[in-house]
Amino acid sequence: MIYAILGFWVLTALMMLREEKVGRIIIYFGIYSLVAAAALLILGSPDVAMAEIAISAFATIFFVIGAEKYYNLAYGTDIAQEDKTTTEGMKKKSGIKKHIAPLVFTLFIFGLVLYFVPENNPNPYLKEQYITRFMTEMGGENATSAIYLGYRVYDTIFEALVLVVAVVAVLHMSFFERTSIDDGIRSDIQRSGLAVFIIRIITPLILIFGIYLVVNGFLTPGGGFQGGVAVATFFICRYMIYNIFDLPIGRILRMEELVFVSIVLFAIVGIFLGTAAYVPSGWLVHFQHTYLIIMNALIGIKVACGFTLLFYRYAGIERLEGDER
Amino acid sequence: MNFSVIELFALAMFFIGFYGLITSKNVIKSIVFISVVEMAVIIFWVGLGFRAGMVPPIGEFLEHDMAYIADPLPQALMITAIIIGMSVTAANIVMLITLVRKVKSTDWDTIKSSSENAT
Repeated sequence: MIYAILGFWVLTALMMLREEKVGRIIIYFGIYSLVAAAALLILGSPDVAMAEIAISAFATIFFVIGAEKYYNLAYGTDIAQEDKTTTEGMKKKSGIKKHIAPLVFTLFIFGLVLYFVPENNPNPYLKEQYITRFMTEMGGENATSAIYLGYRVYDTIFEALVLVVAVVAVLHMSFFERTSIDDGIRSDIQRSGLAVFIIRIITPLILIFGIYLVVNGFLTPGGGFQGGVAVATFFICRYMIYNIFDLPIGRILRMEELVFVSIVLFAIVGIFLGTAAYVPSGWLVHFQHTYLIIMNALIGIKVACGFTLLFYRYAGIERLEGDER
Repeated sequence: MNFSVIELFALAMFFIGFYGLITSKNVIKSIVFISVVEMAVIIFWVGLGFRAGMVPPIGEFLEHDMAYIADPLPQALMITAIIIGMSVTAANIVMLITLVRKVKSTDWDTIKSSSENAT
């Protein structure tokens, strides 16, 4: 089963390699991410699979918006009417220098890796330590969540910092002056009554599912990242239904920075107070679950703010270019 | 050379992505293949030490065989890696839009020649 899925995975990448049209490459990338998520689920890691599904949906949306901008700006045509004249740089080039030399180089490095990497028998010592001790030391029932919120919380803080830096970079590099107005332009999706009807039905379910993932992240598969991305999807659906563009981007960015600072402060508080394994008496007995839930909720709010900002910024680029034309 | 089949699949995917990176002439294709390489690394880490019939590391494992529980440490690290990869992709795409606004093309050769003409 797992080998069949991985074979299909490699096949998708090979199709992507020989494809010449940008739109089809993006569609293949969505299929590729979905197959990889299925493989991750079979490999025994539902947390990573859920994160990969949510993130790949966002990545596909961003690729579509970026490619559409590229076609409108560079060629003045739609991505659906892509023809041979617009796919410049995608043609297969014949000849040894263009085709054979990179292949030989890649195979050479592949052979070096296969030959020189030493024997890897994964040592199960750390795994056994984590699995036997996380329920008394960190609480909760999800070992993955216990590790990224407790034992290796510095990694989580660093990841939150990288997300803040990426959001600030996107805000800085997209030259969009107006932040929160309703300019009265209707998007195409509002002409389709069926799409708006279905989105109206599933939108509250998405929000409830996101909050459930965040709050139950320490017991079941899920957590702050996955739930935060689901909550950000709720804001995308809101944009699709009502087509209003009234989110105050500066305030959301400030809120994200404040939430990041509070993540750092709360992690420091957790380290100094200790969890119930270190301070096992008195009023701190129930601090474990409180710590896990509050950290998951803070990370969820932060990720939701970041991805909402990214999406609205890309939508803002799209609208600005529409105005110019 | 002592890899399992899953690790071999992940390594092969890594080098497919590497080949796509060094041969693609289009900027969007390059960004897509950066994501492909990231996904291969994630599958490699999660698939380390996999055996058929592994269970996720959720719940109590008092009477369970320790060899058939998935390793939680690479999973926690790879969730972080997925979010960082998405941040990198978002920054890449906004750089792509900025570049297209200036050069009106996504071909690497055209971009290179236009930057040489500008300087």
